[in-house]
Amino acid sequence: MSNSVHVYDARADHATVTAESPLAYSYQRSGMPAPGEASGEESCAVIGERAFLGHLILRGGAIVLDEALREVLGIGLPGRPNSLNVDAEGQRSVQWLSPDEWLLIVPGDETFGLETRLRAQLGGAHVAIVDVSAGQTLIELTGEAAHEVLMKSTVYDVDPHAFTVGKGVTTLFAKTSVILRRPDESRWELIVRRSFADYVYRWLLDAGEEYGIGVARESRHESQ
Amino acid sequence: MQRYSGFGLVKHALRHHEDWQRQWRNPTPKPRYDVIIVGGGGHGLATAYYLAKEHGITNVAVVEKGWLGGGNTARNTTIVRSNYLWDESAALYEHAMKLWEGLSQDINYNVMFSQRGVLNLGHTLQDMRDIQRRVNANRLNGIDGEVLDAEGVQSLVPIMDCSKRARYPVMGASWQPRAGVARHDAVAWGYARAADALGVDLLQNTEVTGFKIRDGQIQGVHTNRGDIEAKTVGCVTAGNSSVLARMAGFNLPLESHPLQALVSEPLKPVLDTVVMSNHVHGYISQSDKGDLVIGAGIDGYNGYGQRGSYPTVEHTLQAIVEMFPIFSRVRMNRQWGGIVDTCPDACPIISKTKVKGLYFNCGWGTGGFKATPGSGHVFAASLAKGEMHPIAAPFSIDRFHSGALIDEHGAAGVAH
Amino acid sequence: MFHIYCPYCEELREEEEFHPKGQAHIARPEEPDACNDEEWGDYLFFRDNPRGIHHEMWLHAVGCRKFFNITRNTVSYEILETYKMGEQPTITAEHLAREEKTAREEKTDSAQVAEGGQQTVGASDAAVASIKGAQA
Ligand SMILES: Cc1cc2nc3c(=O)[nH]c(=O)nc-3n(C[C@H](O)[C@H](O)[C@H](O)COP(=O)(O)OP(=O)(O)OC[C@H]3O[C@@H](n4cnc5c(N)ncnc54)[C@H](O)[C@@H]3O)c2cc1C
Ligand SMILES: [Zn+2]
Repeated sequence: MSNSVHVYDARADHATVTAESPLAYSYQRSGMPAPGEASGEESCAVIGERAFLGHLILRGGAIVLDEALREVLGIGLPGRPNSLNVDAEGQRSVQWLSPDEWLLIVPGDETFGLETRLRAQLGGAHVAIVDVSAGQTLIELTGEAAHEVLMKSTVYDVDPHAFTVGKGVTTLFAKTSVILRRPDESRWELIVRRSFADYVYRWLLDAGEEYGIGVARESRHESQ
Repeated sequence: MQRYSGFGLVKHALRHHEDWQRQWRNPTPKPRYDVIIVGGGGHGLATAYYLAKEHGITNVAVVEKGWLGGGNTARNTTIVRSNYLWDESAALYEHAMKLWEGLSQDINYNVMFSQRGVLNLGHTLQDMRDIQRRVNANRLNGIDGEVLDAEGVQSLVPIMDCSKRARYPVMGASWQPRAGVARHDAVAWGYARAADALGVDLLQNTEVTGFKIRDGQIQGVHTNRGDIEAKTVGCVTAGNSSVLARMAGFNLPLESHPLQALVSEPLKPVLDTVVMSNHVHGYISQSDKGDLVIGAGIDGYNGYGQRGSYPTVEHTLQAIVEMFPIFSRVRMNRQWGGIVDTCPDACPIISKTKVKGLYFNCGWGTGGFKATPGSGHVFAASLAKGEMHPIAAPFSIDRFHSGALIDEHGAAGVAH
Repeated sequence: MFHIYCPYCEELREEEEFHPKGQAHIARPEEPDACNDEEWGDYLFFRDNPRGIHHEMWLHAVGCRKFFNITRNTVSYEILETYKMGEQPTITAEHLAREEKTAREEKTDSAQVAEGGQQTVGASDAAVASIKGAQA
């Protein structure tokens, strides 16, 4: 079964066009205020895109996927709903999305190799792996007012005491959907769909204005 | 019946308004009637009135569990139009429209029918194609209608955002000049008073709790005030129709949903027509008192609670503010809900049933106020003759088995 | 406004994340081609639409995207339970009616016990009796 699946490297080196993140256009149109730029004070909320990561959707039975993932990546599937496992380096994560669905995020250049190895490890198991890297992007939100920006935007309880580290949910964000997670004490991550990325970006700038929100400038363009 | 007139008003003023007659009696139920109408909303009261007036059947009771017109009739946003797509529904709603045009005179009661026109906006090319098609169909059926472009809409409603910058720019609209609004309470009260004057017994606080059926023929109803007999019973109970059908031993193809509406604080006149948008999903008009009258879609779950959820209200107001940024700071005064009986093809059921002599008139869902006179008129004729009136016949419950649905979802995305 | 416990996410979530999807436990006819018009129409269009206890499907649309079932009172809107697809409700109209009846019998001065909003299959006792009487 598995060898009849056509798998290809979406990030092949021979690509001649520079990849643009889903927010490339937004940066030009709506600008990228530096943290604290507007207020002259220290910014209490900072957003930064972590573009071009590898996003894989895993679907299938938890046991077989868990075994394969431990073997190939050294981390297992989160056991509980709405939770998130992050590896020791904080570079790779896997999140529960539904009883038979997980989101795996890894550095972009590892995506193809990982998918290939996972497929080999899983053999003929009844699973699906889909590379959705091009369809979504990850926005990081930090700063002491981060959760206040979120409170204005989502129906989910984002009180830091309720939304503890290691939690991750799919919920509503300003009427669109978002995958919202908290990998560590200081960071929130929003995974948004490509076609809604501009809207979410502009919403965040607006919602964060009172906290002097700014945009951290790393990883705007793919280093080729 | 004391007739209302300008002269009468002067006369009463001279007597310090001390001898106005009650609008209707409060009779004790008789043991037996020729016809029982269950449900004292606009449709039920209109049915009773036309039974008495057009068919000489005056030994009629309207059995209402609460107060007259306290159901959806009192809760609706009063849009009246007849520009439906299919021939069957166009005939029904246009029949109603013609009756609306003479109603205040006919029942000697000012129902404040105001033909201020209704706009159904188009925001996409497909919307505009549908509008073209519907207006063409309307004209073939002798119903007034025009297709307007964005400029035409803007000139009718200067305060609406018809610019290209809008999130869903207005591309045009269908415009029915004869459409408009009426005063919902006055419709119920006017029919009640006129029916009462012809001898109809209006029994309020009387709830039907079951049916008496023998050999497949209806014999009467059980109520909290005792049994009442009749060989012909018409149920006009809107959101509660499934409950009554179950009492008679069958199901209906209906689901009862909450439908909400709101009114704002009163404003100076700013909007002299009715604006509806299927796409942005909201509609608005301004009452004579000055309140903005606002509504949109149902709450998606079944509910008999006469209330809905907050997200629906929020969605509705977002749509309104999208179309009318000028209203973004207007305060809402009141919000409420009704129980609407939605049908799979967005058309009503006016029909005989498995039980002989038991008829149902229901399924008007979110848009039956506009049909009130027409619905009552054809239903009365059907009850009187024992044969469905030709305009009512296509709305038989059999269509859900034969497949001859009348799919008005297209014309009625916001089906009011 | 509902606060709904998703049996898959195992927590209470806001109503906005969900879509109601109509009456639950409607079995598709095994052989649609063998249905007559009446059976097929009943399956497609006719619904219980009870005033009281209702079993309905909901979708956790912006969440885990799973369908599940809710037992809910359509008058008070109280959610009595949620359960996964393929499972059966533990709270039903019949079950509540039985409980209510026992409670009534246990009371000595019980003549005036209110019916509550729990009349669910539509038919009141009186109505059922009248139909039965008619057939007899
Ligand atoms: C918020 C809202 C907005 C709407 N907007 C519009 C609009 O703009 N334009 C439009 O055309 N339509 C609109 N509608 C729909 C319209 O209100 C209805 O279709 C119409 O009023 C139905 O009239 P009716 O007489 O059949 O029902 P109702 O007025 O609901 O009357 C039914 C009556 O039956 C009684 N009853 C129920 N059960 C029993 C029982 N067991 N025994 C005795 N009596 C019983 C009820 O108490 C009730 O008074 C709207 C509805 C709502 C809720
Ligand atoms: Zn869920």
